[in-house]
Amino acid sequence: MLSELNPLLHSQLRLAVMSILLSVEEAEFVYIKEKTSATAGNLSVQLDKLNEAGYIEIEKGFAGKKPRTACRMTEKGRQAMEEYVRTLREYIHL
Amino acid sequence: MEEKNLTERESLELIAQMIRNTQNKLQERSGVPLLVWGYTTVIVALVVWFMISWTGDYSWNYLWFMITVVGGSYLLYSYRHRKPSVKTYIDRVLSQVWLVFGVTGFLVSVLSIFFWNMTVLFLILLLMGMATTLSGLIIQFKPLAFCGTLGALCSFGCLILSPLNSILVFALVFVVMMIIPGHILNYQGRRLNQEEHVC
Repeated sequence: MLSELNPLLHSQLRLAVMSILLSVEEAEFVYIKEKTSATAGNLSVQLDKLNEAGYIEIEKGFAGKKPRTACRMTEKGRQAMEEYVRTLREYIHL
Repeated sequence: MEEKNLTERESLELIAQMIRNTQNKLQERSGVPLLVWGYTTVIVALVVWFMISWTGDYSWNYLWFMITVVGGSYLLYSYRHRKPSVKTYIDRVLSQVWLVFGVTGFLVSVLSIFFWNMTVLFLILLLMGMATTLSGLIIQFKPLAFCGTLGALCSFGCLILSPLNSILVFALVFVVMMIIPGHILNYQGRRLNQEEHVC
């Protein structure tokens, strides 16, 4: 019996965000926006969803006088991604 | 990026593509920190050497602290004006390596000037040579690792030369250890970016 794909991760933008955060310690909001070509509003909404699920941490601060928002993946997020990739492989090998 | 339904293969490809995009690549100005610290150190060293040679007054040694002032100002400026980016594990390790060696070098300088008389140029060259070598190994950039090792080995020259001549060796080693690899790093970063734009 195949596991169900995590609906929170099975979404283009949220999956792109999680993939970026998987390979780095921290990524800034503007960087993620550039790499995903998402609008600021849409990205903000998706980051909030991932944050509410406990998959990422969001830190807001300043770099000099400029506001800065940085995101990090949590251990729970890392495990969710591992599970998601494992499930994807099951589907592909069918 | 739209909210479209992905197939399983598309999901895996998206993950791979995003990870590739965040790989730590050589940037066009990767060598700038090395050049700022390298040129500052060389210029200050030559000024100190010249002033001591000309006046015979060893108080000119206090000018060495200008390296910390100029370098520290650059660090502050680059932090405030940096582009939004990522912080990778390698970035964190490099920062910590330079923090440890930089602070140790500063403390050694302060102790030497105000308290104990020690062969400070030898110690600074050895510390900076080790930090540069480690940096080269961490980012897998052989010229930096090689020049750092050379710098660390040349530091022993300061033990056998006179204090005044040691300053000249100090300046020369920083040219080899930081300025040359800094320019190579910038050149390679520039070439890599040009190749990517052509592709």
